[in-house]
Amino acid sequence: MKPLHLNLAARPYRDYRPVYAVVVVASLLIAFMLLNNIETGYRYARDTRTTRAKIAGIEQQTAAENRRAADAAQRLRGVNIKVLADQAQFVNARLVERAFSWSELLDQLEGVLPDDVRILSIAPAFSKEGLVHLALDMVGKSDQGMVHTLDRLNRDSRFANAFPASESKSTEGYHFGIGVDYKPSIARTVE
Amino acid sequence: MIWREHRTLLIVLGVLLLANAIFFFTYRVQYESRLHELDARLQQAEDDLQRARNKRLQAEQQLASYNRVEVDLENLYTHTWSTKPQRLTALINELKRLGAMTQLDPNSMNFAQAQDKDAQKNGRVGTSIVTITFSVHGSYQKIRQLINLLELSHQFVIIDAIHLGGGGSSSGDLTLDLRLKTVFRELPRSTMPLNKEM
Repeated sequence: MKPLHLNLAARPYRDYRPVYAVVVVASLLIAFMLLNNIETGYRYARDTRTTRAKIAGIEQQTAAENRRAADAAQRLRGVNIKVLADQAQFVNARLVERAFSWSELLDQLEGVLPDDVRILSIAPAFSKEGLVHLALDMVGKSDQGMVHTLDRLNRDSRFANAFPASESKSTEGYHFGIGVDYKPSIARTVE
Repeated sequence: MIWREHRTLLIVLGVLLLANAIFFFTYRVQYESRLHELDARLQQAEDDLQRARNKRLQAEQQLASYNRVEVDLENLYTHTWSTKPQRLTALINELKRLGAMTQLDPNSMNFAQAQDKDAQKNGRVGTSIVTITFSVHGSYQKIRQLINLLELSHQFVIIDAIHLGGGGSSSGDLTLDLRLKTVFRELPRSTMPLNKEM
């Protein structure tokens, strides 16, 4: 009988094929994806070069605009706005007074007042809305002078809110005062 | 056992595969959406630029407007209103000239002034308002002419109030009491020259 010679220790048998298969497949996959990714990256960089340059340029411009805006804001903080506004308001009020046309007012009053009523004094006060409040002191020959004057002022569109202040009889006639709002043809508002 | 022996190689391959897969799915698969994102970013950058430009323009316009107001005010205070030493006598001469032109010479003139004391304290340019009252006697037409000339005068003079009297004559002449006012620039007291006695 022929004896059995088992040589189990000389070369341990191991099947490395699954490992090699995985390594090969993975390497191929990596190589394919790497090439694809490189091509994608290159294409992305090429296709978006103009846009990215535009964005970079715009961002630079935005930064420059922000710097200039900050500079202007800094200079604005140096302006004493309250003092400037006060001065402008004061000046505008004086300019409105200066621009007021007494000739036009006298023309209007000549057309409105009754024949038997005469003006003694006129004192204007200027409102912010462009209206001029007139304090009129007048004298009439009859006791109806004030009533007629009020009626005529109420009928004229250039005058509004006519209201009597006083009436008294004197040797000259009937003295009376009327307050009325007058709208000049060029109304100037005080800002 | 066989996998453990090639652990390092397999880990490296796994990492490379994962990295490539992430890049692939991020850039390759979503290529179009990334282009759209970039376009959206461009649009956003343009919007930001427009906003920054508007903000800058608004600030600069506001500043220019303040500067313009400051210059206008300075011109008005310095040249139109001026100071009393520079303009008061010219104003009085102008009133007399207009009176002579209309043959309505003032019988008397009264002067008064009121200073804006709060102005310099509050940082504003100091001013004083000078009131001139005078009366003239003449026909209604001449009085109207005088008023018209005062309105057209190059001097900054405001007709504050008028008072018309009968005049008491049979000629129909009237007496006109005029209250005029004007504004002068007041220099700060510290800038006034001092007389030094030797």
